[in-house]
Amino acid sequence: MNRPSPWKRPLVSLIVWSMVLVVVFPLMWMILTSVKPQTELFRIPPSFWPREITLEHYFTLFTDTPFLKYLSNSVIIAVSTTILVIVVAVPGAYSLTRFAYPGRERLAILVLFTYLLPSVVLVLPLYLAMVKAGIANSLLSLVIAYTTFALPYALWFLRSFMASMPEELEWAALVDGASRMGAFVDVVLPETLPGIISTALFTFILAWNEYFYALVLVNTDEARPVTTGVITMLVSSFNIEWSLLMAAAVAMSVPLIIIFVFLQGYLVKGFAATGVKG
Amino acid sequence: MTTVALGTPRTGLGMSLQRQYALIGALLIAPTLLIFVLVIGYPFVYAVYLSFFSIYTPTLKGEWVGTDNYRVLLTSGEFWASFATTTVWTVGTLTLQIVFGVAMALVLNLNFYFRSLARSLVLFPYFVSTVVAVLVWRWIFNDVYGILNLALVVSGLSERPLDWLGSMPNAMVSIILVGAWKYFPFVVIAVLSRLQTIPNELYEAARIDGAGPWSRFWDITLPQLGDVLVVVVLLRTIWDFKEFDLIYLLTGGGPVTSTETLPLLVYNQAFGMNAMGRASTYAIGIMLVLLTFMILYLNRMRRQRSATS
Repeated sequence: MNRPSPWKRPLVSLIVWSMVLVVVFPLMWMILTSVKPQTELFRIPPSFWPREITLEHYFTLFTDTPFLKYLSNSVIIAVSTTILVIVVAVPGAYSLTRFAYPGRERLAILVLFTYLLPSVVLVLPLYLAMVKAGIANSLLSLVIAYTTFALPYALWFLRSFMASMPEELEWAALVDGASRMGAFVDVVLPETLPGIISTALFTFILAWNEYFYALVLVNTDEARPVTTGVITMLVSSFNIEWSLLMAAAVAMSVPLIIIFVFLQGYLVKGFAATGVKG
Repeated sequence: MTTVALGTPRTGLGMSLQRQYALIGALLIAPTLLIFVLVIGYPFVYAVYLSFFSIYTPTLKGEWVGTDNYRVLLTSGEFWASFATTTVWTVGTLTLQIVFGVAMALVLNLNFYFRSLARSLVLFPYFVSTVVAVLVWRWIFNDVYGILNLALVVSGLSERPLDWLGSMPNAMVSIILVGAWKYFPFVVIAVLSRLQTIPNELYEAARIDGAGPWSRFWDITLPQLGDVLVVVVLLRTIWDFKEFDLIYLLTGGGPVTSTETLPLLVYNQAFGMNAMGRASTYAIGIMLVLLTFMILYLNRMRRQRSATS
């Protein structure tokens, strides 16, 4: 009992890894399908591993479809939303954690409330307002719409980060004669930087993945982001080309894969700092 | 609260410094407030206002109908049928998310090869766009060439391919399963980070007392996970209840209205039936239903914060 058997670790590994493989199977299947020639999909029985690897679907995707336009729209929307939200939320969250003024607690509760508010409540008035203002069907309309969930999210997120930071360094800076704003720029910002990066990454992912507002607010290819764009490709095609769609699914996941591979530490740290910690 | 202490000058410079600090605090929050009022506050009030109108979507022309929409909500049965569908979906998918999530977190906490790689791979379904998830699953569910039906037929589990998304109860089962696959990693991360903080001494003591793995799980692990599970259930209830993308893209609410959950009902009212006022009323209805869970969560967060600081 006290000395673990030498077989325990390999056995546990085998079991856990088979569970993990079941979970990631759909994503592996997506990648495998995207590099198979179309004929291999419809062979009976079909091949599991591609007999021949082809990149023709990716080539078609970028040359024969509006995918590249959708992709660049998504980049513009997600980057603008992220920048806007971070610039506003960092001072906002700092104010909510470190300053005393009337109504502060109520404001914090309001932020959390809006974070949980279903977008289905806001989508119709936003649609009406944007039609009236003449900015429906534009990239700007989506940046505005995405701010409605991204800003409360970032505020709540950053606030948890800042609340868990020790106040002593700020104190020391103030005692040394720094102004509040000086302490904010020189002490708080560098200290919060990992939190800001996490928040920015999550905000970007939220905006990149968003579908519902894009479905309601935009119906021209000019302003369509990649999420609704790819679905348009699915719906409008007469013969569904699954390998092309799988290539699109892989291509639109590339930013996430990059974030995962290089910046995963920030994601996990960020997750632990939000409301879910016990 | 410790945060108030920083706002109170210790140096004895008097009220002016405190007032100055309050002013800086107000300035820092001002842009946030402005945006909140413009893009959340105003639409929110507008949504309530719309719910008292009858509005024809294509022309956006409408007239005041008072509480008519609310009477329809309460009496027509359409809202409540959809409410029942939403409840089935939420309870089904959330239960699976919790069971799979806790199980996966427990095994990921064991000692095995390439553990950190496994931990990050499992998170993928959660971070990938719902559009990507739906595309993959629709391909897997494909009636003729989908790998799921091929596997079923080849293995002899089923004589002919199943219609996964176009018939009942398959469609409900399918969305519940895909929902569980997509969102269980949220439970994994939350539970896994909590598991790592359970002191090992508890397990040592139980082992000395002769407790087996099963009773160690029931008597130590599960009670320790209690708090985090309550928070996870509250958040996921809210998020699953308002889920639109996954269901809309997998079944579109069909067959007929069998999987038409409340958010889909709102969308269909507004852009299918062209009844934007009524759609807004239904949206307010969703919010009122979720308000209970939101308040429970808010109270919990507040208690937690006053306990930690």
